[in-house]
Parts: sequence; structure tokens; C-alpha cells
Amino acid sequence: MEAKNISRLYKSSGRGVSDVSLRLERGEVFGLMGPNGSGKSTLLRVLSTVIAPDSGSVLVGGVDGLKEKREVRARIGLMVDRPTHYDDLTGRANAYFFARAYGMEEGKAEAVLAELFKYFELTEYADDRVKTYSYGMGKKLALIEALAHGPEVLLLDEPSLGLDYTSQLAYQCRIRDLAASGVAVLLASNQVDEVESLCDRAAFLHRGEVVAEGTPEDLISRVEGVRRIVATLRNPVEYGSLAEVEGVQRIVPEGRDLIFHCEERPGIVASVVAGIVRSGGDIVNLSVQRPNLEDVFVELTGEALSDEV
Amino acid sequence: MRFDLPDAYWKKDVALFFSRKFALILKMLYPIAIIVPVAASGMPAKYAAAVIGIVAVMAGTFGAGESLTIDLNDGILVRVALTPLSPYRIVFEILAVNTILDLVQLLPALLIVYLLHPVSIVWVFAATFAVFATLLTANCIGIFIANFTSSPADVLLYATAILFPLIYLSGFFRNQHPTGILQTLRAFVPFSYTDDALKTVFGLSTGTTPLEILIYPTIICAVLAGAVCLTAPRLLSQRL
Repeated sequence: MEAKNISRLYKSSGRGVSDVSLRLERGEVFGLMGPNGSGKSTLLRVLSTVIAPDSGSVLVGGVDGLKEKREVRARIGLMVDRPTHYDDLTGRANAYFFARAYGMEEGKAEAVLAELFKYFELTEYADDRVKTYSYGMGKKLALIEALAHGPEVLLLDEPSLGLDYTSQLAYQCRIRDLAASGVAVLLASNQVDEVESLCDRAAFLHRGEVVAEGTPEDLISRVEGVRRIVATLRNPVEYGSLAEVEGVQRIVPEGRDLIFHCEERPGIVASVVAGIVRSGGDIVNLSVQRPNLEDVFVELTGEALSDEV
Repeated sequence: MRFDLPDAYWKKDVALFFSRKFALILKMLYPIAIIVPVAASGMPAKYAAAVIGIVAVMAGTFGAGESLTIDLNDGILVRVALTPLSPYRIVFEILAVNTILDLVQLLPALLIVYLLHPVSIVWVFAATFAVFATLLTANCIGIFIANFTSSPADVLLYATAILFPLIYLSGFFRNQHPTGILQTLRAFVPFSYTDDALKTVFGLSTGTTPLEILIYPTIICAVLAGAVCLTAPRLLSQRL
């Protein structure tokens, strides 16, 4: 898949993507990261032929995505971030409908779907109506629908969000297998661990433009002198004042964890711990970690991928 | 033919139609509840015909319009449109299956009408076909409206604006004996033929022949169906 100079701005907000180019090779897993409003969803909409760009081109396997939409759609497996289904049909009926819509033969569709339902541990619920599914089960069904017809290119928007741990592992394992068999995967996700472990290359989108692209290792190596201090607290604390601790660049809460992005300087860990204690925090676990892709994004843009102080 | 595992859009709609048991009972009962008392009441033929015609118009317009806008809001219709299926085929299947399912809903009530007001078999077929043409036209209107709104409530508003003049022209209530331009326009509204056919069933002669009821609505509906299918790329696109 090759996208060249894609621009698509919404008239209402002026947001979208501007002059974005990227190329996915066969067998490559490509991560697309960026905060809300950075243009990830817009880019995915253009790549999946939902909307046409104002300018630029999209090629999938050499086929023009703007002119030969149906042929391109047949080659793409798509999972949107908020999957929807026909709630009054069973999970199997939904998946079968989409599999046949992608042109699969009856017998093959049934066999492939049986294998996928088993792989994602959904067989027991396959004949239940989708309206009885949990959010995670709905995501797994959407993954099954995206994978069933054996696409050449997979476009996945936040695929692991809402999946339980076991399902996340199963999904990541499947993505690696698919990539090994030659499928190109575009993964739009802000799950830093997922992108670092799954993706061969990643790009950051910021305000509709690609601000950096490379392998996760290369991108992370750009960040020097940054450390992450992750403190797990027994009790929630008002952490706003901790941002004033010298050397702390920003704080991101994640569940019971407070993640401090800090300059690498002597005494920084002690200063952070002291600040937490002063705020009434009871630390149950503390770790100092190497920088990750989120730190790279912060370094590049001065903004965080997720909510921050 | 399997409906538990639908392999086409229309089969999916049939499966959904029969999957909601309570809704299915209501859908099947409400035409009977409205039409049968009217047919049995001895009401003047023109009003009895009008009631059945209006039920058909409403069932068709709101059925297609509302279900489409709900699917558009859910995003599921855009997801279906992103498969390699032809958008024109999808819209054609939406139109065809909704029309036939609407007819399935009305058919028991119509059969009771024919039992209460026996007419020749030719007129039974003509009246049933005319109702089918009305349903098809109404579904075309519902689909057309769904091009401009994704709100089921708006469908009601827009449908009223479109249906009001068509119902007037068709002669359900006024314009019973039109002349001049009104007469010409009436001939282009498929609802008119339903009105004439049902009036005949209820014993009122209108001068419209079964052959006219077969030919003219067929031509008009073919044009309408073709036109509404041409809106497919817009209808199935994501509303931004």
C-alpha cells in the first residue's frame, strides 16, 4: 500500500491530514500514532476508501484506490475503532455475511470462520445475538470480520483497546503470523507497548502531518536524557503540584499509576518520591524505565499522546 | 436457502425481520387492526380505499427511511459499503427486500378485504399489484430522504413534505375527479392506481382498467427505482 501526498481537510473544523505520504511493504507491520485529532482516523478513512482525499493518491497492490474502489476494498481487511454489527443477528451470522460480501465461497467461509471463532475463543458465543456481547467480544468479532477473507492489507484502528490480556496476546500472535505470510498491516494505536512490540516501523501524526517515521528503536534512540518513573499508588492523590518538582516534564495518570516523564539528572527519583509522599501518596511500587515512543512524541511535539498534566 | 447465515444483503434483512419476534407480531397485526375494521364497517368506498392506501404509503416510506437512517447512524451501513459489493446492488436489495417485506405485512389484511368484498381474480391481482407499486414508490421516497438526513425523526418531517402533495394528487381524499394538469399529474403518481384499484374492490367503478394498473405503475416504479439506486454512492457514504 502506498499513499502519496494525501491531504484531506474538513471544511467545518479545518482539521484533517495534510500532505501525508507512507508506504507499507508486504509483510510489514506499520504503526500510526498520534493524539486525538491528529488525523489518524481521517488517514484511515482515506486509505480504506471511505472518503476521497482533496489531493494525493492511494495504491493498493498497484491498484488505484480512488478509481478502482471495489477492487481495492476486496484486498483490504478493515477494523474500525468503534465496530458496529447487526445486533439482532448472531456473531456467526454477522461474520458470515461479511465474509460472503468479500466474495468467499460458502464452504471456505464456514471453515475459516470456525477456525477464527475458535482462535479468539468466541465459539461458545458464536450463535448468541451480538446485542448480548460485551465490548471486548464485539472487538473480537470485528477482528474476525477483518481477517476472514484473507486480505492483502489490514487496516486496524485501536484493535486491542477493550480486549482482555489473553485476547491481546492471541491477536498480537495472529498479526505476527499474518505479517510473516506477507500481509501488510497498518495499526493505528496509541498503545505504546503494542506498537513497540508489534511494529516494524511507526510514524507519528501531529496536527495532520507526519512528524517522524522510522523503526521503534530508531525513534526511541532520538530521545536522550529522558527517564520515565512509574509510581503505583495505593490511593489516588492530587498530583497537579508534582509537575512543579524540578526535572519533571509532565505527568500522565494511567489507572493507579502515575507516570513521570523526567530529565535524567541526579536525585530526580528521590525528588519525585518525596513529592508523592508530600501529596499524601502511598507508593506500593516504583520503577524507572527507559524512554518509549510516547517520550519521543513528547520530545518532538511538546504534547502528549494521552491526557497529561 | 439459509437465512440463519445470510450471504446477501436481502437475506440479512429477512433474517432481521423474523428475528425480532415481538416487533414481528406488531408489524403483522397493525395493518389488520387498521384495515379490517374499515373494510368491515360499510364505510364509503372512497374512504375505505383511502385508509388502505395511506397505510401502504406510510408503511413503505417510514419503514425504509427509518431503518436506513438508523443503520447510517450506527455506521454499519458504511461498513457494508466498504465491502466489494456494488453500492447500487446494495441499494437495490434494500429497496426490493423492504418492499416485499412491507407487502408481507399488508397481505393478510388485504386477503381479508378480498374475502369481505369479493371481486374477480383479475381485480384481486390488480389491487395487490397496485399496493405493491405503492409500497415500492414509498420505499423509494424513504431511501431518497435518507440521502439527506441521518435522523429518523427528520424522515418523518421530510416524508410529510413529499407525501402531502402526492397524496393530494392521487385522489385519496380530494382531487377525486381531476381535470387538466391535475389529471395529468395524477397519472404519474402510482398511489393513484392503488386508489382506483381499491375503490373498485370496494364496489366503486373508476374507469381504470387492470391493464393500466399493471403497465403504468410498472413503468413509473422502474424509473423511480433506477433513480433511487443512482443515489447509492451518496447514500452509503460516511456523513461527516
